[in-house]
Order: sequence, then structure tokens, then C-alpha cells
Amino acid sequence: MRHFLVMTAFAGLAAVVFGIVAKDSKKERIVYGLKVFAEFLVIGLALGWILYFIPF
Amino acid sequence: MGKSDKEELEVGESAPARAWLMGVVGWLCPGFGHLLQGKWLRALLLGGAVWICFLTGLWMGGHLFIVKGDEQSSALLQLPPMIANLGSGLLYIFCWSMGVGFSDDLINAARPTYEYGNTFLLVAGLLNYLAMLDAFDISAGRKS
Repeated sequence: MRHFLVMTAFAGLAAVVFGIVAKDSKKERIVYGLKVFAEFLVIGLALGWILYFIPF
Repeated sequence: MGKSDKEELEVGESAPARAWLMGVVGWLCPGFGHLLQGKWLRALLLGGAVWICFLTGLWMGGHLFIVKGDEQSSALLQLPPMIANLGSGLLYIFCWSMGVGFSDDLINAARPTYEYGNTFLLVAGLLNYLAMLDAFDISAGRKS
């Protein structure tokens, strides 16, 4: 659980910066920030499960 | 390339000294490049993200990198993470001057959050490079 919380914190902090820096309008920033946040979490979880099944 | 494109390129190439100043201030103290330009919310969010990332990294026992002359074989390997850490500006310099986060502490290295801490410290610097470039672009008139 702690690993997931740390990953969530990391995704949140990175998403805030990416969202502000990458887009121009307020709406675009929020949407892009949420998208980046979700991508970090989903890809992180997917990679975690893939690596879990690799025996070496 | 049309005339307007050429004009736009010429305008873009000549960034004013103020823009460089904002970039340097933004690098040295995360968030201040935007704060000096009156972008309060952006300064709070960008600076806050970098500060939280850096302090959380230290709290988790992360290690700050520096190129050491005595380990010639690994000196080059230390350079890329050091450049990433250096992005935190004065936070990195302050820690370096105080000797915080640079020691090869086995107790810290054994903590389960050690690698997380390293990653947070590296990413804090890299995010601040983005924030610094944003402050530069706003001051140069390339962004609103």
C-alpha cells in the first residue's frame, strides 16, 4: 500500500508540473494534468504486474 | 517560410535579459521565476511541486549525487544524476554546503524508501528545469 501511495504522490506532483507547462488554457491544463496522472498510475501498475510474473 | 514566420523566428531568437534573469531565479529558487512575474498560482503550484518532491525525497532517505574525483571509474556515471539533482538550484547547493543527503549512509540505503527518495530527488530537479524554462518563456513573451 505504501508503494502505491508513493507512486500516487509522484504521479500527482509530476502531473501538476506537466499540466501547467505543456498547455495554454486552464481547461486544457486540467485535462492534460489528469491524463498524465492517470497514465502514470495505469502504466506503473501494469509494469508492476508484468514484472511480478517475470521470474528473473 | 513566409515573411511572418521569419519575423516570428527573429522575435523568438532575441530573448531579453529579463527573461534570462527570470530563468536563473526560477532555477535557483523553485517557483520564484513565476512569482516575480506576478504568476502567483503558477508559482505556488510549480514551486510547491518541486519543493515537496525534493523534501519528500530527502525525508525518504534519498541520496544526492555529486561527481567525486577519487572514484575515476564511476565519475562519469555520477554526472547525469548530478545534473538532474542540480536542477533543484539552491536546495541542492544548500544541502551540499550542509552535507545533507550526500553521505553514503548504509542505514539510509537499507531503508525501503531509499530508491523512492533517489527518484524524488532526481525528478524534483528535472521538474524544476521545466519550470525554469516556463518562467523564461513567459518573460520572453513566448507564452502567456
